[in-house]
Amino acid sequence: MLRFAVRNLRAYAPRFVATALAVVVGIGFMAAGLMLTGAMKSALLGSVDRQYASVDAAVVSLIDFEGVSPGVSPAALEQIARTPGVAAAAGELTAPVRILGEDGTTRASRTVGRAWIDDPDLNPLEVTEGTPPTDGVVLDRRTADELDLAPGDTVTLATPIGRITRPVVGLSSFGDADSIDDGGTVSFAPDDALQVLGTEARGWEAVLVRAEPGTTALDRTLATELADAYRVVGGADFRTERQALTAGVVDVLRPVLNGFAWVALFVAGFVIANTFAIVVTQRRQELALVRAIGGTPAQVRRALLAEGVAVGVVASALGIVAGALLSAGVVWLVGRLGYRLPGAGLSVTPLLVFGCLAAGTVVTTVSVLAPAIRAGRTRPVEAMRIGAVDRSGTSTARAVVGGTLLALGLACLLGVRLGGWTSWLLGPGALVLFGGVIVGGPLLARGFAVLLRPATRPLGLTARLAVDNTVRNPRRTATTANALVIGLFLVTVVTTSGEAFKSWATGQLDALSASDFIVASAGAPIDDEVVEAIDGIPGVRRTAPVRTTVSASTTTGQTPVSGADVELLRETTGLEVVEGSLEEVAAGGAAAVVDFSTLTLGSLGGTESGSGTTGGGAGGPPGGESPFGPGVGLGDAVAVTRPDGTVESVPVAATLRARIDSLTLGILVSEETLTDLLGPQPVNLVYVRTEAGAAEDVGVAIDGVLQDFTGVEVVPGNFLGQIVGQVLDFLVAAVNALLGVSIVVALVGIVNTTTLSIHERRSELGVVRALGTTRGQVARMVVGESVLVAVLGTVVGVGCGVLVGWVLVGALGDGSVPFSLNPARVASIVAAGLLVGVVAAVAPARRAVRVDVLDAIRAT
Amino acid sequence: MSQAGTTVTWAAQVLGGTKVFGSGEAEVRALDGVTVGFEQGRFTAIMGPSGSGKSTLVQCAACLDRLTAGRVIIGDVDATNLDERRLTRLRRDRIGFIFQQFNLLPTLTARENITFPADLAGRRPDQAWFDHVVDAVGLRDRLDHRPSELSGGQQQRVAVARALVGRPDVIVADEPTGNLDSNSSAEILDFLARATAEYGQTVVMVTHDPVAAARADRVLFLADGRIVDDLVGPTRELLLERMGTLAR
Repeated sequence: MLRFAVRNLRAYAPRFVATALAVVVGIGFMAAGLMLTGAMKSALLGSVDRQYASVDAAVVSLIDFEGVSPGVSPAALEQIARTPGVAAAAGELTAPVRILGEDGTTRASRTVGRAWIDDPDLNPLEVTEGTPPTDGVVLDRRTADELDLAPGDTVTLATPIGRITRPVVGLSSFGDADSIDDGGTVSFAPDDALQVLGTEARGWEAVLVRAEPGTTALDRTLATELADAYRVVGGADFRTERQALTAGVVDVLRPVLNGFAWVALFVAGFVIANTFAIVVTQRRQELALVRAIGGTPAQVRRALLAEGVAVGVVASALGIVAGALLSAGVVWLVGRLGYRLPGAGLSVTPLLVFGCLAAGTVVTTVSVLAPAIRAGRTRPVEAMRIGAVDRSGTSTARAVVGGTLLALGLACLLGVRLGGWTSWLLGPGALVLFGGVIVGGPLLARGFAVLLRPATRPLGLTARLAVDNTVRNPRRTATTANALVIGLFLVTVVTTSGEAFKSWATGQLDALSASDFIVASAGAPIDDEVVEAIDGIPGVRRTAPVRTTVSASTTTGQTPVSGADVELLRETTGLEVVEGSLEEVAAGGAAAVVDFSTLTLGSLGGTESGSGTTGGGAGGPPGGESPFGPGVGLGDAVAVTRPDGTVESVPVAATLRARIDSLTLGILVSEETLTDLLGPQPVNLVYVRTEAGAAEDVGVAIDGVLQDFTGVEVVPGNFLGQIVGQVLDFLVAAVNALLGVSIVVALVGIVNTTTLSIHERRSELGVVRALGTTRGQVARMVVGESVLVAVLGTVVGVGCGVLVGWVLVGALGDGSVPFSLNPARVASIVAAGLLVGVVAAVAPARRAVRVDVLDAIRAT
Repeated sequence: MSQAGTTVTWAAQVLGGTKVFGSGEAEVRALDGVTVGFEQGRFTAIMGPSGSGKSTLVQCAACLDRLTAGRVIIGDVDATNLDERRLTRLRRDRIGFIFQQFNLLPTLTARENITFPADLAGRRPDQAWFDHVVDAVGLRDRLDHRPSELSGGQQQRVAVARALVGRPDVIVADEPTGNLDSNSSAEILDFLARATAEYGQTVVMVTHDPVAAARADRVLFLADGRIVDDLVGPTRELLLERMGTLAR
């Protein structure tokens, strides 16, 4: 029987092409995702290992929170260097810089400024030309080459302290690579770096330590020496921590990409099942012959399963190759766009190859199961019958089960949305609905045709025939359409709910804009010069500089602590007090915190409606239990951790309404209190309020001021709304692009079904042609058929998608998010579905038109 | 060639028709310079052994296939050099078909099958003529059934009605009784004979059944791509005798 299977594969190879294609697309996508992320991860991990290869211990701040932690003081570095057993200690410091041209234009924007490490073992960089940066800067080889700079030249830089010029004294490399940072590296002498990279007040991000040979337990010694004011980490732990930071992106990316690959494979399963079902029908006579001459049903089944496995293995292997090509393409494309993906090569591991092969083969085999079982049931007598047209009916059992599932699913969804049922029913409801669509698919197909039939009357006979042809085998039509349903359903859910949340969120956030501009740094301090310059811009009414650092411990973790001139800040941003008074806070020794009960989805939007200010979130759904942790109210105290690790309790004198500004601040104290608690902190946030109508000019002027400073960005007051809008737009677009893969697979399915059903109906097409149907009419009929399948899939998919999206938006927003359906978006999804139908019909229509009339008639 | 008179009208003519399949060693000359005319209003049968070229002759005459050399004229139209589109229209409007396998469209009802060529052309069929034909073939009460709900004989009657209702220049029937029992066969042959006698319909039928051929006005015998005999007013005995001669 195995030989029979092999022979069949060879004989019917073209029919399996489409099956294979579906698997190739799915596996290719999966493999590409794994390869790319694998390469990125190993490259990132590898470069972390290389960068910190000689680090035996590292000293970091007790509080580490995304780069805004207070650093290790220069004095501590000296102390560390003097500690017995320490061979070398060096401060690590990085900040964004830009290389400017003579006219002030930016020549390189993504360069990283670094403090040079004098110890050659600790320093990941090597000087390849010139000298280390004792009285100038060292550029990495690639940047120097690209900008045509060499030792002896002078370079102008935009830095956190503004525009500076430095002589270039040398060039560096990072092992075999040109630069340690993607965008290039500018190395400064350590003292210079402390000044230029603007963290004098804070010190080093970390101190890297190399031990004398034979020293043990250096981390213990250092911890004792530093009196637990800092955290001391062993070399290996430090590398692991840094790797977790850098590779975290990959760890998130990988399962996401895999998820989409599985969706594509799931869709492929439908296509495969369908193709095999048709192939089995076409070979019914032959299978019956096998049965007639003594093949058992089990043998027939096994032969077909063997064919499925073979197709699965071959297609998966091709998929891996396709994946490699795809990832190479992505690397090339990203390179063309001017970015370098970490990891030049592709990582192909035995595990990846095995995993992809297994996934593709399992999906194929499972999908072939049903057709194989049906093939096993072929009755020997069918060998004697002429012609084989796959017919399937719609059984009562199917109608009952499908109808029940549909009704149950609908009930769950509507109950959640309208009846106030628990939103936990949403997931099961959607699944049950989907099950109903799949089980009841043939009935839907039939009903669909009944509905459409009258509509085709004005379109003539070809349209009528097209409609009729789709219900000749409702099960096949339904399976084909279902492949499309899955993709379009997901696209619609994502698009409609994303759209609703976006318009809701941006609307709410826009309404909350208090200050006109927020100048914020990404951790680095904002130079006083910048604050003064902004304050001097005509049209600026007030500027409120804020010093924010992460230090306060709450039950859930760390929150920002901000010090500011409280009165000035209030005037600039319009802080709104819920309880208590800001005067006490301004006087020092007390803090203001956000009243999280005012931060419910409803009340954040309802600034006007929620006028019951005194109640503090009156009437809101479970207030206080916000994602930011339980609220701390008036009369409570917040715990602030000092740099030396001791915890200070600060009483809460006021609570603030949850607004964007107040949430950014975290815990607000006076400037003096902040210094008292945490030492001098740089300004890293400036709120700006403009005179009426001056906003636009001020924005341009602020951009001008910031031209020479890096690491500082100006954002309009409604920036959160814009950012949230952009992020949601991007997410929706990205998810849809990824779901596009599954729609491509569905397209393959429609091509396949249409082609095979045309093959099946060759003689009929011949008759139609003999009776005088023109080629154009035949082509139109085939296109009509394919489009109808696509319409069915689109209507069901988009319909379910809109329904689930509507329920989802209702459930997540507690009814406060209006469900806004963007007709243009929905129309474009529908158009995409129809386009799939037309595109899928091209090849089959050509085949149908080429049917030789005489051959077709004889073939009966 | 025997011709009935000087004022004969030809429904279809093949002039010097040659059809070659394959080339070189594998060359098969299915028709070898056949010239034949089918008179209007007559029932012509074509007989001959397997491979004699009888099917090829009617397929070319019905414009389903093109001759390698020679001309085909349907009514007053020279179909030899028509393009595919015009040829399709010609088939639709001027030729009716009856096949051995009935070849009805399974998704259409009997009525829809009958009016199919007219629908293709976007014409309303002549209702009175439609009724007449439907009654003649006795399908009045089966019009809304699908082919799968009809017996073989009924299906072939639908096919006959489909061919007749368009009043084509010529009806081409390729072994129309090949798949039918003797009762149904006799019915179909009756219809074809009546069509020529009562409505002046031209019918060309390929068959190897002498009983069927005996119903025709004229029988052509083909062998090796040539016309080897031409009988007018055949009887069953005469036909059997000729067949015997040819077989030898």
